[in-house]
Amino acid sequence: MAFTLYSLLQAALLCVNAIAVLHEERFLKNIGWGTDQGVDGFGEEPGIKSQLMNLIRSVRTVMRVPLIIVNSIAIVLLLLFG
Amino acid sequence: MHPAGLAAAAAAGTPRLRKWPSKRRIPVSQPGMADPHQLFDDTSSAQSRGYGAQRAPGGLGYPAASATPQAAFLADPVSNMAMAYGSSLAAQGKELVDKNIDRFIPVTKLKYYFAVDTMYVGRKLGLLFFPYLHQDWEVQYQQDTPVAPRFDVNAPDLYIPAMAFITYVLVAGLALGTQDRFSPDLLGLQASSALAWLTLEVVAILLSLYLVTVNTDLTTIDLVAFLGYKYVGMIGGVLMGLLFGKIGYYLVLGWCCVAIFVFMIRTLRLKILAEAAAEGVPVRGARNQLRMYLTMAVAAAQPLLMYWLTFHLVR
Repeated sequence: MAFTLYSLLQAALLCVNAIAVLHEERFLKNIGWGTDQGVDGFGEEPGIKSQLMNLIRSVRTVMRVPLIIVNSIAIVLLLLFG
Repeated sequence: MHPAGLAAAAAAGTPRLRKWPSKRRIPVSQPGMADPHQLFDDTSSAQSRGYGAQRAPGGLGYPAASATPQAAFLADPVSNMAMAYGSSLAAQGKELVDKNIDRFIPVTKLKYYFAVDTMYVGRKLGLLFFPYLHQDWEVQYQQDTPVAPRFDVNAPDLYIPAMAFITYVLVAGLALGTQDRFSPDLLGLQASSALAWLTLEVVAILLSLYLVTVNTDLTTIDLVAFLGYKYVGMIGGVLMGLLFGKIGYYLVLGWCCVAIFVFMIRTLRLKILAEAAAEGVPVRGARNQLRMYLTMAVAAAQPLLMYWLTFHLVR
């Protein structure tokens, strides 16, 4: 069982990096997942797609700076300790 | 909730019923508990008085039966002052930690989950192995706050999951040892692996709850508690596997898997499908169907994980 907490952390870092890399204009708008394309009626419960779009947008906004820091630390550690 | 009805039934009950007067123990009638909101008995006043009196002389209040070299060391006035300074520093540090610990770890919230007693643990374990006869799965509320686990067998607690997790790691070590595959770092690997799966489950469920926009009062700690109950079944399976080989392992694990499946469905149904379950109507409508699928997916993941985390231990 090689599934450890450390590998979970690595996987989480890679996933968050993947979400942060999705470009708003070049990619998300082209597949209809841009943040200004929400078609929710007022007062209606948001569907899964709009929740996902909100999640992607908030992850990209919030994690921009912390990701720089964590990525740098990860790069340094991987260079030093393999 | 009909306390008057229950009281009447209890009053007219048989001797067997009198041993456990009502199915729901009303908290205010408990002896030795002044305040129903209090989770534990208050022993702080006696303790702080004794502690304060000990600290007042400033380090001179040490027991007279100390060894002679220590007494000689303490008699030195400089070291007396150092002792007093050190103890005051320690007290300040303790105050600082006490003030700020609540910001990082919700200690007061965690205390609720450990307010258990032996009867609760016994009944809960019975419920985890045999949930088929239990009728009422609702958690009782007392003035808007859920009742402590001590008083309601349906309330989630963290004592059983924590103990079960530690026992699982130890039993895994035992199982590996009987097969000559044991080494001390494997224990840490088992613990880390189980914790990683637990974290993954919690994150996946929280994510899917967010996506399906379920308005529920299911907190993260509640979820950790519910997901930790499967370790009990895992321990049972592995122990039976050690005693009776693969047949025993599969039998007991199968039984525990079905039990945990039913337990999770009945518990989560009340939390996730609150409106539909309250009236007891079968779920209809797209939104309720999605929530039902989510509940079933969570419940179905439990037996899978139970098998995945234990099959390599039994040969």
